[in-house]
Amino acid sequence: MATEAAPMDEKAKRMRDLLSSFYAPDPSISTSGSSINASFDNINSTSFDADQYMDLMIKKSNLEVLLQRHVQMAAEIKNLDTDLQMLVYENYNKFISATDTIKRMKSNIFGMEGNMDQLLQKIMSVQSKSDGVNTSLFEKREHIEKLHRTRNLLRKVQFIYDLPARLQKCIKSEAYGDAVRFYTGAMPILKVYGDTSFQDCRRASEEAIEIIIKNLQTKLFSDSESIQARAEAAVLLKQLDVPVDSLKAKLLEKLEQSLDGLQIKPEEASTLVEHDDSSNDTESNDQHPAKIHEDAVRGFSEAIRAYREIFPDSEERLFKLARALTAMHFEHMELYIKKRVSAADFLGIFRIVWEDVVLMDEVLPEAALSDLSAEAAQVTLKQFVARMFSHLQQDISDTLLKFDINQKEAVEGELLKVVLEASQKAVLQGTTNIFQDFRQLLDEKTGIFIKMKDLISGWIQKGSQDFFRSLEAQFLVLSGKTSSSNDIEGKSSDKIHAGLILVLAQLSVFIEQKVIPRVTEEIAASFSGGNSQAFENGPAFIPGELCRVFHAASEKLLQHYIDTRTQKVSVLLRKRFKTPNWVKHKEPREVHMYVDMFLHELEDVGKEVKQVLPQGTFRKHKRTDSNGSNTTTSSRSNTLHNDKMARSNSQRARSQLFETHLAKLFKQKVEIFTKVEFTQESVVTTTVKLCLKSLQEYVRLQTFNRSGFQQIQLDIQFLKAPLKEAVEDEAAIDFLLDEVIVAASERCLDVIPLEPPILDKLIQAKLAKSKEHNHNTVSS
Amino acid sequence: MQGGSSGIGYGLKYQARCISDVKADTDYTSFLTGTLSLKEENEVHLLRLSSGGSELICEGLFSHPNEIWDLASCPFDQRIFSTVFSTGESFGAAIWQIPELYGQLNSPQLERVASLDAHVGKINCVLWWPSGRCDKLISIDEQNLFLWSLDCSKKSAEVLSKDSAGMLHSLSGGAWDPHDVNAVAATGESSVQFWDLRTMKKVNSIEHAHVRGVDYNPKREHILVTAEDESGIHVWDLRKAKVPVQELPGHTHWTWAVKCNPEYDGLILSAGTDSAVNLWFASASSSDDKTSESPVESTRQRVNPLLNSYTDYEDSVYGLAWSSREPWVFASLSYDGRVVIESVKPFLPRI
Repeated sequence: MATEAAPMDEKAKRMRDLLSSFYAPDPSISTSGSSINASFDNINSTSFDADQYMDLMIKKSNLEVLLQRHVQMAAEIKNLDTDLQMLVYENYNKFISATDTIKRMKSNIFGMEGNMDQLLQKIMSVQSKSDGVNTSLFEKREHIEKLHRTRNLLRKVQFIYDLPARLQKCIKSEAYGDAVRFYTGAMPILKVYGDTSFQDCRRASEEAIEIIIKNLQTKLFSDSESIQARAEAAVLLKQLDVPVDSLKAKLLEKLEQSLDGLQIKPEEASTLVEHDDSSNDTESNDQHPAKIHEDAVRGFSEAIRAYREIFPDSEERLFKLARALTAMHFEHMELYIKKRVSAADFLGIFRIVWEDVVLMDEVLPEAALSDLSAEAAQVTLKQFVARMFSHLQQDISDTLLKFDINQKEAVEGELLKVVLEASQKAVLQGTTNIFQDFRQLLDEKTGIFIKMKDLISGWIQKGSQDFFRSLEAQFLVLSGKTSSSNDIEGKSSDKIHAGLILVLAQLSVFIEQKVIPRVTEEIAASFSGGNSQAFENGPAFIPGELCRVFHAASEKLLQHYIDTRTQKVSVLLRKRFKTPNWVKHKEPREVHMYVDMFLHELEDVGKEVKQVLPQGTFRKHKRTDSNGSNTTTSSRSNTLHNDKMARSNSQRARSQLFETHLAKLFKQKVEIFTKVEFTQESVVTTTVKLCLKSLQEYVRLQTFNRSGFQQIQLDIQFLKAPLKEAVEDEAAIDFLLDEVIVAASERCLDVIPLEPPILDKLIQAKLAKSKEHNHNTVSS
Repeated sequence: MQGGSSGIGYGLKYQARCISDVKADTDYTSFLTGTLSLKEENEVHLLRLSSGGSELICEGLFSHPNEIWDLASCPFDQRIFSTVFSTGESFGAAIWQIPELYGQLNSPQLERVASLDAHVGKINCVLWWPSGRCDKLISIDEQNLFLWSLDCSKKSAEVLSKDSAGMLHSLSGGAWDPHDVNAVAATGESSVQFWDLRTMKKVNSIEHAHVRGVDYNPKREHILVTAEDESGIHVWDLRKAKVPVQELPGHTHWTWAVKCNPEYDGLILSAGTDSAVNLWFASASSSDDKTSESPVESTRQRVNPLLNSYTDYEDSVYGLAWSSREPWVFASLSYDGRVVIESVKPFLPRI
């Protein structure tokens, strides 16, 4: 079937093509269908060239094929002829039938016009009749409409007259929403006719509305109502044209006022914390200030939450309030820590404040309270650390100054020792305490502390570095070595007792050797974290540098002590040598009293030193309890020595200078100015040496007559014994005393020394006198 | 810091206290020094540093009637100088002239130009007009200040004006301000006092005890350096004289004399009774600024203002003088009569 259908289709297709080419002689369309075999042999193509086709056929095919082709073509041509004949017939038929149809149409149309005229007439009559009905009913309809309007109006009037009652009912049932709706509905009418017809009505309803407003306001202000209800109330009030803004302002003001109640006042802060501790035992939570505070803050944050919902446009204001509260908290905390506060108390307050902040942050997350307070907390903490150190410093200097070191007590009693021990304890205990406190800070688990751990460590390190540095500076100021710039000449160096300087010196040694290593350990153990912080100048706490600083300070202070002491003696000596006219000096009668004063000063030094400084390792034997006998024996031995010296003096008075020069050449140069050590002996020796050197210098500035020289000789001779008693370096003392004698003889116009017996006698007399004096003072 | 014995030494016969730079001698670096001997005949030595700087030559030796407590060379005439002397009982001051052809004389005698006889009392020092040819002199005793007018040709000196400091102050020395020729500082027992020579009135004072030596900084106005018995050396700014600008440790015992270098600002020399001469560098100018600037640097500077310590002396050093011709050279004189000339050149690059 399929094979049969295909040539059928072929044929039909060809027919159609031919037809279409006939009707529409557009070659592009006709060729489009059969373009597949569009070539020279395609007879149907428009570009078919018969001659070419023939040539090609002849060339390509043999005779048989050509004959076959001829037969085929003849058949095809015959077919085409019949097809064309058929087409002509068909078309002709169609043309004839079309002509018939037109003829029929012409006969049908005829007679339609009369019907149309009839229709028009009928419609016209319908219209005139309907107009008649309309005019007859118009008046009645008009009347009905009027009646309807009147009825509406009457209903409204009725509503307005009913309004007060209805409002009252609403008030009773607290259906404020309906009431407001009614009122606002009646509003336009009341506005227009309120002054005339509905005066009473208006008044009554206004009264009712006023009540409603009042109720709404109280509802708005009352904290017991639910937030929803309050928000509704606010919305209703707004609908009633009540100035809500002023209400809002009032409310916020109230809120602001309540801030005062929330403040942690510095004076209350301590009780807040104290009660925190005590009430834990008693469980009296209702009287608990901290609890009260917490509730208050909770209330505050609730209020904020409420207002935020009620007045969405007031956020800024609320933020401001919350920030103000936070800022105030931290301000108060700063005030609070101005007084001394322990770390525990500080933490207590801090915790409360932090809780408050967290509470508020929950309500107002956009206010960035936690950032704000983190910043403030950093500042506060930093201040706290700094303040702890400054308090410690204050403590130490208080301990030092607490004892009124006046001349007598300091020397006689054990006061210096007490001061030293107390201050040592203050330093050591103080640093231990402070680090304990700081450890509490680090252990604290409140959110912000964990973040700031590194910072805190850094602050503590830096703080301790600064602390020791400023402590050193303060020591120097206290000692009068450097005058502090802020109180110019407030304390002149005369008023600072030398003993205090000595204590400070020893304290510096103590800090260098004991305290700083300990602090270093503490920091290494607990506060090393801060190193990760990038400090520009390396780690903040440099124990090596501090040790150096305090070492230098201790030496400086010790030197300063010796200086102040020798200065006193120096003044004494200066007076002694300035006053008399040495060229006209009278025969020496007795040992001059400045010697006593000099020895007294030395004694003071000895006593002070003994209280504060440790004993040296090298120590010459000394019997302090048998003082009296000791001096006499030594003085006797000295007489012998002096005898020798006196003789030599008289013998070679003239070539004295040459002699001393020669002696110096052979004698090993005695080291007068050795380094001072932190021992009792070293300090005393240095003082004595410096004083004797001063004595020599004063002698060199004078010119003596014989008696003047003898006076010096006598005084020096007397000094010899007690000085040697006090000092470890006897050779140096001998040397210096001899130097004084030599200096005096050089400056003497007429060197004749006192005879030894006279010398001895005068010295004995002096000894007896001083013994008697001592005796008198003891007995009195 | 150990002072090596690099110095050039010269021995006087007797003890001595004072040495002075001969400022007017522009050809040689010379110093004048005088002995202090109560009983022997005292001498004035004119010393000259050889051109190679390796030797100290005694250019002239003159006898002086009394022991010399102070000696100052005239700034404009190298042959003129002043001395303060003591006879044992009383003090006096005189202006002397070295004879012109002293080299050719056997035993040249000093010519006395003038004696400041009108000044009785324990004279401490004579100050010359700080620079240039001016015939003004100042003599200071324990209580008084005299301003003199000297006439070399007439060989006379007249008192122009005087003022008393009062009994209690007991002045001990002084210095003439090179920047303000009307200002003179005098050291007293409890203060340094300043006089205005035009009115001859005390104008100012620094309350500071036991000042021994005083010197103006010749390179910088208003800066004054003092040496004290116990407390070392202080540098003051006279415009704010309450607190010293800088403090130097000084000497182990008293600091006796202090001299600012005439050429190198901040270079200070001090002599002490601990038989040492110390060379300091005091950045006095702006020590305050520096501390604020960088603490590290200032501590370093504070640690070591001492450039060198010359310790090669047997006795206390009282005499000290910079050479104005060769400002890196100074002369020091210890009590045993030893003059030592040292050069600070090795320390100059460090400034």
